[in-house]
Amino acid sequence: MLIQVENLVHTYAPGTPLAHTALQGIELKFDPGERVGILGPTGSGKSTLLQHLAGLLEPTGGRVWLDGVAAHERTPAARARKRQVGLAFQYPEDQVFEQTVFRDVAFGPRNLGLKDAEVAARVRWALEMVGLDPAAVEGRVPFTLSGGEMRRVALAGILSLHPEVLILDEPTAGLDPRGRRELLGRVLAWQQQTHMTLILVSHALDELPRLVERVVVLNKGQVIADGPVRQVLSDGALLRAAGLDVPQPVALLHALQKAGWAVRTDRLLPEEAAGEIARVWEQRSRGTRHRSVSKVPRGHREPEEDIP
Amino acid sequence: MGALNQVFSHVPESGLASMKKPFIEIQGLEHAYPLADGGQIVALRGVDLTVERGEFVALVGSNGSGKSTLARHLNGLLMPTAGRVWVEGLLTADPRNLWAVRQRVGMVFQNPDNQLVASTVEEDVAFGPENLAIPPGEIRRRVDEALQVVGLLDYRTHPPQMLSGGQKQLVAIAGALATRPACIVLDEPTSMLDPPGRRQVIETIHRLNTQEGMTVVLITHSMDEATVAQRVLVMDGGRVAMDGPPEHVFEHGERLRALGLDRPPTVEIAHRLRGWGVPLPPGLLTVEALAGALC
Repeated sequence: MLIQVENLVHTYAPGTPLAHTALQGIELKFDPGERVGILGPTGSGKSTLLQHLAGLLEPTGGRVWLDGVAAHERTPAARARKRQVGLAFQYPEDQVFEQTVFRDVAFGPRNLGLKDAEVAARVRWALEMVGLDPAAVEGRVPFTLSGGEMRRVALAGILSLHPEVLILDEPTAGLDPRGRRELLGRVLAWQQQTHMTLILVSHALDELPRLVERVVVLNKGQVIADGPVRQVLSDGALLRAAGLDVPQPVALLHALQKAGWAVRTDRLLPEEAAGEIARVWEQRSRGTRHRSVSKVPRGHREPEEDIP
Repeated sequence: MGALNQVFSHVPESGLASMKKPFIEIQGLEHAYPLADGGQIVALRGVDLTVERGEFVALVGSNGSGKSTLARHLNGLLMPTAGRVWVEGLLTADPRNLWAVRQRVGMVFQNPDNQLVASTVEEDVAFGPENLAIPPGEIRRRVDEALQVVGLLDYRTHPPQMLSGGQKQLVAIAGALATRPACIVLDEPTSMLDPPGRRQVIETIHRLNTQEGMTVVLITHSMDEATVAQRVLVMDGGRVAMDGPPEHVFEHGERLRALGLDRPPTVEIAHRLRGWGVPLPPGLLTVEALAGALC
């Protein structure tokens, strides 16, 4: 699905003293099959934008087009396209509501009019996808689940719809590092199989470069950066100005560059940054001291632009 | 022995104990949650642990490792299935000690929205001391002091829901501070916050520990946050699997990975560089430290 955001404006409580413009003219395009990260501090307009992409809000100005159909319209064509946009909210308790885990995950597929057997198969598939054992959790009451399990169930409820566009708002908050790696690894594998569009809001700068090709940065309701992940996340000044963190490898490379090292600063992952530092360290020590790095892999491979 | 008892007979039990005992002492702690079908989930399988006054301990571990259950034993929110927990010598399982224990150990949870109860920031912070039946003048002093410590004094008449996530969490911390605990236990206080909110909360906790001498137990999934602590406890399967200063715990990358955890990126970079023969001293947990060692 092609998503076009055209001069999108959203004002909450317009015409009242509490009026607040959350989005001030957003222009964005998401191509089918793209993997895009969205970054921005609290209040930058991220959540409002996501809700517009899913057609849940009516724009104050501008439009969101889903394959050329205005997302907020109440027409069969708009509804059909919105059904292809799966939005998993940041707080899973906002969207888990059924009496059992099975019924909760089955809710979407049932609404699609699928037969019982197909619904059951999708529920099992989706629960396995998010790392839960269907037999162990299907009969449980959602509110007896841990925070991490609830988050996974909420995501399973979206995945079971097989959406063309998957939007995840902080999908791994509260999960431990292994849980994060496994969950995102499975989602990424499925994305590559289905070529769905993946839009990911995340502050986890160490995992973002492994997941997305492009990053959009929002601040105060505006797009302040939109480009390849390597370019945007290595722009320390831009990220700091928006109140965001700079990836540690980038911060380290910037510090070394400032001290006169001829390092590239767009090495986002620890292994890339270590390779770059070792390379330059070896050059420097060859020139000045007679030391050398023993085991730096010869011809240390330059990472390709597309990291994963 | 009899004479000694006589000499100390006027000293309240907690006072005597605090001279001899660690601030928190845990022996053989086990905890099982009963299930509706008669079964149970065992969350803690024998924890022995002491925390000294003024320590800053980070509690890390994968989901289900028992961290949150352990935290809830530190101020008597849960009672041991087996084993014992003492806070300044007060046994948490003794119902007569409950208020004294909770006054010594304040808790802050993950979601600030679930912890704020009043219509202004100062009323919210006053909630705890009011429940302790403290005189109004004293409450006023404590509320102002607590808001001062977290840097929110200017916001005292604001409605909490108008604050950012980080500020709300600071209000929750101020609320815990207003009862004047000696220790504060925070259960993933930053996992719902954005980077500025996280920084605000972690800096405040760090300052409480270094400047106010507050004992801190911080539960976190962020290994970066754990580097701020003096001591890192790694939980696994209801037991303490690793215990030491962050620079020692982070040396064991393979072990941590096996326990479902990662090292901070900076530590990972330093480790790889050492492996390739770049001479670096041990430690180096922060970007500044590693850059300094390289230059």
